[in-house]
Amino acid sequence: MIRLENISKRYVMGDVQVAALDGVSLEVDKGEFVVVLGPSGSGKTTLLNIIGALDVPTEGHVQINGGNMTLTNKVNRFKFRRETVSFIFQTFNLFPSLTALENVQFVLDMQPADKTKKEKRNGQANRARAIEVLTDVGLGERVNHFPHELSGGEQQRVAIARALATGNPVLLADEPTGELDFRTGIQILELLKRQAEAGKTVLVVTHNREISRIADRVIELSSGKIVSDGAPRGGKAEIADLQW
Amino acid sequence: MNMSFWLRWSWRDLRARWLQVLAISLIIALGTGVFAGLGGQESWRVDSLDTSTERLNMHDFKMELADGSFIDQTDLIAALDGIEGVAALEPRLIVPTLLDASTEDDTVLAQGQLVGVDVSENGPQVDSLYVDQGRIFTSDDAGQNVAMLELQFADINNVEVGTTLRISGDVELETVGIGQSPEYFAVVPPDNSFVFGEANYAVMFVPLSTAQRITDREGLINNVAFILADGADSAAVQAAVEAHMTASFPDTGLDFVTRDDDIGLTMLYSDAKNDQVTWDIVALMFLVGAALGAFNLAGRIVESQRRQIGIGMALGVSRFWIAFRPMLVGVQIAVLGTLLGLLAGIGLSSLFASLFRDILPMPYWETSLYMPGFIQATVLGILLPFAATVLPIWRAVRVSPVDAITTGNLVAKGGGLSWLANHLPLPGKSFMQMPVKNILRSPWRSLLTVLGISMAIILMTAFIGFLDSFVATLDRAEDAYLYENGDRMIVTLDRFYPETNGEIAAIRDLAAEDGSPLFAQLEIGLMLGGRLIDGDEDIDTLIELHDMDQAIWRPKLLAGELPTASDEPGIILSEKAADDLGVAVGDLVTLEHPRREGLLSFRLVQTELPVIGIHNNPVRALSYMDLSATNLVGLNDVTNLLVAKPAEGAQPDTIKLALMNQPGVASVQEIAEISESFEVIMDLFVTILQVVRIIVLFMAFLIAFNTTSINVDERVREISTMFAFGLPVRTVTRMQIFENLIIGVLGTALGLVLGWFALNAMLVARVEDQLAEFKFIVEISPETLIVSMVLGVLVVAITPLLSIRKMTRLNIPDMLRVME
Ligand SMILES: Nc1ncnc2c1ncn2[C@@H]1O[C@H](COP(=O)(O)OP(=O)(O)O)[C@@H](O)[C@H]1O
Ligand SMILES: [Mg+2]
Repeated sequence: MIRLENISKRYVMGDVQVAALDGVSLEVDKGEFVVVLGPSGSGKTTLLNIIGALDVPTEGHVQINGGNMTLTNKVNRFKFRRETVSFIFQTFNLFPSLTALENVQFVLDMQPADKTKKEKRNGQANRARAIEVLTDVGLGERVNHFPHELSGGEQQRVAIARALATGNPVLLADEPTGELDFRTGIQILELLKRQAEAGKTVLVVTHNREISRIADRVIELSSGKIVSDGAPRGGKAEIADLQW
Repeated sequence: MNMSFWLRWSWRDLRARWLQVLAISLIIALGTGVFAGLGGQESWRVDSLDTSTERLNMHDFKMELADGSFIDQTDLIAALDGIEGVAALEPRLIVPTLLDASTEDDTVLAQGQLVGVDVSENGPQVDSLYVDQGRIFTSDDAGQNVAMLELQFADINNVEVGTTLRISGDVELETVGIGQSPEYFAVVPPDNSFVFGEANYAVMFVPLSTAQRITDREGLINNVAFILADGADSAAVQAAVEAHMTASFPDTGLDFVTRDDDIGLTMLYSDAKNDQVTWDIVALMFLVGAALGAFNLAGRIVESQRRQIGIGMALGVSRFWIAFRPMLVGVQIAVLGTLLGLLAGIGLSSLFASLFRDILPMPYWETSLYMPGFIQATVLGILLPFAATVLPIWRAVRVSPVDAITTGNLVAKGGGLSWLANHLPLPGKSFMQMPVKNILRSPWRSLLTVLGISMAIILMTAFIGFLDSFVATLDRAEDAYLYENGDRMIVTLDRFYPETNGEIAAIRDLAAEDGSPLFAQLEIGLMLGGRLIDGDEDIDTLIELHDMDQAIWRPKLLAGELPTASDEPGIILSEKAADDLGVAVGDLVTLEHPRREGLLSFRLVQTELPVIGIHNNPVRALSYMDLSATNLVGLNDVTNLLVAKPAEGAQPDTIKLALMNQPGVASVQEIAEISESFEVIMDLFVTILQVVRIIVLFMAFLIAFNTTSINVDERVREISTMFAFGLPVRTVTRMQIFENLIIGVLGTALGLVLGWFALNAMLVARVEDQLAEFKFIVEISPETLIVSMVLGVLVVAITPLLSIRKMTRLNIPDMLRVME
C-alpha cells in the first residue's frame, strides 16, 4: 500500500545542514494500524507529510498503491491528497467560521470537483452523510456548533470525522492527542483504531511511548533514522490498560 | 528584555510585511505630498506676484490724463522735476486700437491698446518688460514699427514672434518679442467688459516715438507711472504731483490709480487667496482620506498580532514591551511615510507649481516646498500610524490572556454574526458559503475591510465627481449660450443710441464686398447693470432685454415661461441668483436699476418685479427681461446691445472686422468666444483636478490592493488546511474572489453613498461659497461611476489572482506546523 525507498529530507540553512529524514525505507499494508514513535525533532511530522504528499523528499521514492507517485507534479499531489490520504492535525485546523457539520460537509462538497470519482452528489445527500459521520464519532448532538464552542476532544473528533468523510483509504494523524487530556486522548485513539479495523490504513504519530503500545506495529525514529520497526516494546496493550 | 531583541523581532515583522508597510507609507506620502503641493498655492502665487512686480519695477501709482488729453513729454518731465518722494517716473502714451494679427492659417482680430514706452535703455524703467520670446527693445528700436505683444493674448491666440500686426490706421508692426508687464498680469479692458480680457484684448508695447508717430501725437504722452522713494507716503506724493500738474497744466483733468485701485492686480491677489480655500478643502479631504486609509491598514496589521500580544501577556511581559513591537510597525510606517512624503512632497509640489506656472501669468516664480503644509502633513503622517496602532493594542491588552491564546480561535471570541448564516438560505456548495461565513464570523474585521475599500471609493467619487461637476458646469454654460443660433455675435455699443440713429442703420446695412448683406438678422436689445434685492440679500446683475417674440436667442428656462411683449414686466433670473435670494417663479424681487430721467441723466430706482422664469446659465449675474420693459428704465427706443445673426456664407471674421471699424461699436464677440472664455476661467481648477484624479486613482488602488493583501495573509492557515485536503488552488482562489466580491460590492456601495455625501458636503458646499458667481452643477458622470465600480468591485475581486503565486509557493507543511 505505502512504500518508501531510501527517503531523505534535508534542510540547508547557511552552512548547517539538518537532515530531518535520513535514508528511511518502509512499507505499510492496507488495514494496518501503525504508530510512528520518536522524540520531538526526530522527523515524525516530516515523514507523515511526505507520505501525505504535503512535502517532497530531497531523495528517494514514494510508492502508494503500487503506482509511483510523481512527486514533482503539483497537480498530482493535490489529486493524491484529495483521493488517497486524509490528515488529522494536532491543532485540529478546523475552519473557524464553519459549524461542525459544515466542516465535514466541506470535504464532501469537494469531491465532485474530481470528475472521475463517483457521480455528483447533491448538497442534501452530503449533509446527511456528514451528520452520519459525525454521529459515528459521537457528535450527533453537536453538529450545529462552531469549533470555538467545542472542547478540544470534540474538535479533534470533528477533524477525524472530516478525514473520514473523504472516504480516503489512508488516515494520517500527527500527534492527534497532543492537545488533549488522557481520557479524551484514549477515546480519540480508540476511534482511530476502529477505522483501521474497518479497513483503513492508519498512521498515528506520537512522542508518547505508552500510546504506541496499542499498535500492531511501531516504527521508531531517532534523528531522522528508523531505529526499530515491529511489535511495540514492552508488549502490546489494550487501550484500557494504558497509563500516561 | 533588551531593546535589540525587540528591534530584531520587529525587523522580521517588517521583512514579512514590507510590501504592505510600503504601500501604507506610500498612501501617507501621497496625502502629505498633495497637501503640501496644494497648500502652497496661495503663498506661491502671492510670493510670485510680489517678486514679479518687484523685479519688473511695477509702479506704485500711475497718473492717467482725462480721455483725449495729451501733454508734451518734455514739459511734463520739467513740471514734475524735483518732487520729493518720487524715485522714478515713466511717461507713456497709451491709445486704443484694433488689431488684426491674422496669418494664412489663423484669423486673429481683437480690440486692444498700444502702449508707447521709452526704449532708450532697454525699455521702460518703470513697469519693465519681461521677454518671454523674441528680444527686448533697444534704443535702435525708437521710431521703428516694432512691437512686443502681451504674452497671454499671444499664447491664447497662437501669435508668434515675427508675425505682422496690422493696427488701426493701416499700420503694420513687426512682432519682435512676446512678453509681460506687471501692469498687465491680468488684462482688464478699459470698458471693464465682462469677458475674460487676456483672450480678447491685445496689449502691444511699442517704442514711445513709434506710438507717437503712428497716432500723430508727436512728443505727447497721456499716462505716467511712478515709483515711490523708500518710505515716501503715496498720498502725499500724489498730492504734490497733482499740485505741480495744476500749476503747469491747469486745464488737464487727471486721475491717480494706485496698486490697490488696480482691478487686475487686486483680483490676482484675491484669487490666490480665494482659490486657496478650495485647494485647502481638496487637500484636506485628500489627506483625511489617506489618513483613514493608512489608519485602517496599520490597525489591521496590529490586529493580526493580537494573539501574540495575548501570549506575551500570559508570559507576564510588561505592557510596555507588549506594546513595543506593534508600535514599531507604526514607527516603520511613520519613518518610511515621512521619507517618501518628503519625496512626494517635493515631487508633487513641483508638479503643481509647474501647472500653476503654466496657467497663471507671472514671469518670476517662488515655488519652494511649502513648509507649513508639509510640516503639518508630516506631523499627521507620524502621529497617524501611532494612533492606528494604539487602538488595536488597547483592544488586545484588554482581552484576558486566556482568551487571546485559545487555540483554533484566532480572532473572534464569539462567532461574530456567524449565527446569522444559519438563518440565511445560502445557496451553493460549502466553499461558496464559506466566504459569506468568513465575513460574518468576524464582523469587525470585515467592517474594517469594507471601510478600507469604501475609503478608496469615497476618494474616487468625491474627487472625480468634483472634476465632473466642473465639466458639467461648463457643459451647462455651453448649452445655455449655444443651444440656438450658436453662430450669433454680440455687439456692445459705447453708449445708448436711438434705434433710428445713423450708426445703427450703418451697422444694419453692412455688406460684403459683393454687396450681399452680412447679417441675416440684427436684433436690437439693451444691457444694464443693476442689483437684485430680497430682504438682506443683494446680488449684482447684468440685465439683458431682448424682444423675446423674435429674439435670435432666448434664455433656456429651467422653470417658468418666456414672456411676450403684451405681458406685464417680469424678470428671468439665473438658478443661482434665485437660490441665493430664496425666490422661485411667481415670487417678487426688487430690482435696483438705472432709469433715464433727462437726456443723459440716470437715477437709480427700485422696482418690484415678479420672477417669471429661471434660466439655465450657471453665471449668477445674468438676468433677462422682455424688451417691452424699456418703459421701466426710461430707455424706449434706444439700444446699447445688438445681436447679429450672420448671413449664410458670411465669414465671422469679415463681420467682426467690419463691425469693429464701425463708429459706436465698443466690442464684438462671437458667442462661442464668450462660452470659451468661461472654460478659461475654470481651466486652473480642471487642470489641477485632473492631476489629483490620477493620484487619487493610484491611492485608491493602493488601499484596495493592500486591504485584500492583508486579507490573504490572515487566511494563510486556512488556505494551507484546504490545500492539505487537496482542494485545488483554483477553487481556493475562487472562494477568495467570491469573498472579495462581496466585500468589494459592500465597500463600493458604501463608498459611493459616502462619496456623494462628501462631494456635496465638503467640496461643493464650500466651493460654491468661493465661486459665488456661478451655479455649480453637482454631478458624478457615468464614467466616474464605472471607474469607481471597476476599482471597488473588479480590482478588489481579482486581487486574489495576484496572490495565486503567493499561494502556490506557500510552504504548506511550514504553515501547518506553526501554531498561530
Ligand atoms: N522548514 C524547516 N527548515 C529547517 N529545518 C526544519 C524545517 N522543518 C523541520 N525541520 C527540522 O527537521 C527536523 C524534524 O522535524 P519534524 O519532522 O517536525 O520533527 P518531529 O515531528 O519528530 O518533532 C527537526 O530537527 C526540525 O528542526
Ligand atoms: Mg511533529
